[in-house]
Amino acid sequence: MDWEGQKRSEIFMLISLVVFGVVAFGVGYAIGSFQIMMLIYGSGVVLTALITVPNWPFFNRHPLKWLDPSEADRHPKPQVNTAAPKKKASKQK
Amino acid sequence: MHSFGYRANALVTFAVTILAVMCSLASLSDNFNVPTPTADVKVLNINWFQKQPNGNDEVSLTLNISADLSSMFTWNTKQVFVFVAAEYETAQNALNQVSLWDGIIPSKEHAKFWIHTTNKYRFIDQGSNLRGKDFNLTLHWHVMPKTGKMFADKIVMTGYRLPEEYR
Repeated sequence: MDWEGQKRSEIFMLISLVVFGVVAFGVGYAIGSFQIMMLIYGSGVVLTALITVPNWPFFNRHPLKWLDPSEADRHPKPQVNTAAPKKKASKQK
Repeated sequence: MHSFGYRANALVTFAVTILAVMCSLASLSDNFNVPTPTADVKVLNINWFQKQPNGNDEVSLTLNISADLSSMFTWNTKQVFVFVAAEYETAQNALNQVSLWDGIIPSKEHAKFWIHTTNKYRFIDQGSNLRGKDFNLTLHWHVMPKTGKMFADKIVMTGYRLPEEYR
């Protein structure tokens, strides 16, 4: 999931769970059935989980533009002179 | 929301929090219910009234207990526990309460009932103070919810008296 997709997924999750909670309580209280309230809410949680948790393609509409490898080679990382040994091998051209 | 596990955790935590809020609201909604119960207990017969070898009085009664507790049931009620207690005063104890009968009412349909029974639990005094004793019969109830707070209350019925002599 890209950043935009993550944000959308989280907002959708928050709103969806709250809406299902409110609807479940309202319907359950109105008809006097605790069981119906639990059923509506439980199915709402499962539905929200199915929509927001897996990595669906519609959450990846703003993909990150990673730098092309050939472009990266033309701009080598600057060398930092330190006494400690480097953990990463720097690209040298 | 950086990974599958992160999102799953966030969703489950939030869902359980909302569930807790819904359950406390359900319990709060019970406060809007004003129950109007009625009850009547008749002592049909004193079966026997003896002093036990250990010095304590014991009496066996046949009771007719009738009550209508249907107004106590709400959408958030699991069951109602009801019991009948005999209450009286002695020289040693300001209040003695002896439970004579109890039952569980599982639903509103069973809440209007009458039962003709001997006392389920033995009516034994601490000592031998029961001859000619005036006592009250109290019907207590505990409304047990599906979630949240339990409500308890009672109806006191006065005017019962035990015989002057053993029989």
